[in-house]
Amino acid sequence: MKSQISALIDADLALEDAEYLYTTLKSGGESSEAWATYHLIGDAMRGNPVFKADFTERLMAQLDAEPALLVPAARRKQSIFKSGRIWSVAASVAAVAFVGWVVLQQQVQTSVDDGSSPMEIAQSLPADYLLAHQSLASSNSAYYIQPANYSE
Amino acid sequence: MKRFLLACLLAAPIAIVHAEQEDPWQVLQKAAQAAHDLSYKGVFVYQSGENVKSVQVTHMNYGQGEYARVVVLDGIPREMLSQGSDVVIFSPKNEKVIMEKRRAHNLFPAVLPTAVDNIKASYRARIGGIERVAGRDGRVVFLDPKDRLRYAYKFWADREYGLLLKSLMLNEQSQMLEQMTFSQIDMLENQDMDWFHPNVDHGKHYILEEGNAQPAQEVAEWAVGALPAGYRKVQQVTRMVPGKPSPVTQVIFTDGLASVSLFIEPLTKGTRPKIGQTAKGATNFYANVANGYQILVVGEVPAVTVAQIGSAVSFKK
Repeated sequence: MKSQISALIDADLALEDAEYLYTTLKSGGESSEAWATYHLIGDAMRGNPVFKADFTERLMAQLDAEPALLVPAARRKQSIFKSGRIWSVAASVAAVAFVGWVVLQQQVQTSVDDGSSPMEIAQSLPADYLLAHQSLASSNSAYYIQPANYSE
Repeated sequence: MKRFLLACLLAAPIAIVHAEQEDPWQVLQKAAQAAHDLSYKGVFVYQSGENVKSVQVTHMNYGQGEYARVVVLDGIPREMLSQGSDVVIFSPKNEKVIMEKRRAHNLFPAVLPTAVDNIKASYRARIGGIERVAGRDGRVVFLDPKDRLRYAYKFWADREYGLLLKSLMLNEQSQMLEQMTFSQIDMLENQDMDWFHPNVDHGKHYILEEGNAQPAQEVAEWAVGALPAGYRKVQQVTRMVPGKPSPVTQVIFTDGLASVSLFIEPLTKGTRPKIGQTAKGATNFYANVANGYQILVVGEVPAVTVAQIGSAVSFKK
């Protein structure tokens, strides 16, 4: 079943041949999750855009760039901006951003350490930096096999 | 009869030359090419210090580009799929599977630069004997550094296919730092692509993690002066590091085989500056503080090399 879903996404399987698959997918459950997972993996492999970390900024930029509405003057009052719906979207985006900001502030504060005298690097290996090095240094085989942050 | 003798005399030296004078650089060049051009499937053992992992690699290239899948067989089932220069790494972490996109990486047996001429300035190559690895005859090639700024390597190249069968990195005391060796290797016999997909675990959530390194330009505040001989800058990026409020600049240097990363960031209040040198396996670390900046150098190179790169940073007031 799962391999058939995969084949369907890869277009190796014609949609007509997969009617029963489609029905099962509509019913939800494990199959529809498999569908979502395969799509995400497929997008990653093909390099399709997916929701990125800066989603809110891009959404707001998109809203700013919205073209002028070409609707008759009489109907303009009911434009999307007046409908109130867009403001609720903007409000929730702002709320999420605010919560994110609060969390960020707290994280910054908890990471503050009073000591500012230099310490020997041998005392605490900078694992995050080693990982950053491994991920970009093209000659590094260790990154795939035994990356710095994965202690088993 | 005379003619026969003459022919023998002419042919003999050529035959001797052919048997004895195998050019080590040609063996390495063939090995570099074979890793990308051939279609093969095998299991190799990766060893670095205490870490030992078996890794399965499948690589296909029938003239329509390279496809590869690499699966770590011991411990956490990490895997990597690559198509051309696009790489996606799948790492299970608790109830999730993190998918990371990366640019092309060298992975055994494709560890040599595609143009081996680039490393001739820094290394000396010398041909060795024939040793058996993974049931196949391998030609040994030693790659010795011309100075103390890099490690030594020993390679075993398949006599028939040219592909590397084994690779060994050694420190100044000729102790093993990192080793990769095939325990089994076969050429692929068909163009079946059935193998080219990740092993999906439906009990887990798949999350795509965006790489956070952004290409960066030179900055006015500091510059990297004279590099250790043979090393050149290949990339400069800025990236976020966990626990650091502002982006960190990372500059990557290579001598064609070994890589070094230099990290520079302004010192932040409350974070203890790091100084000194240390090592972990083949990786050396150097840390210093100058002009209100934290300098950190990390690389699979000798201690003297990371220290030289760290000291090469100069600040403009």
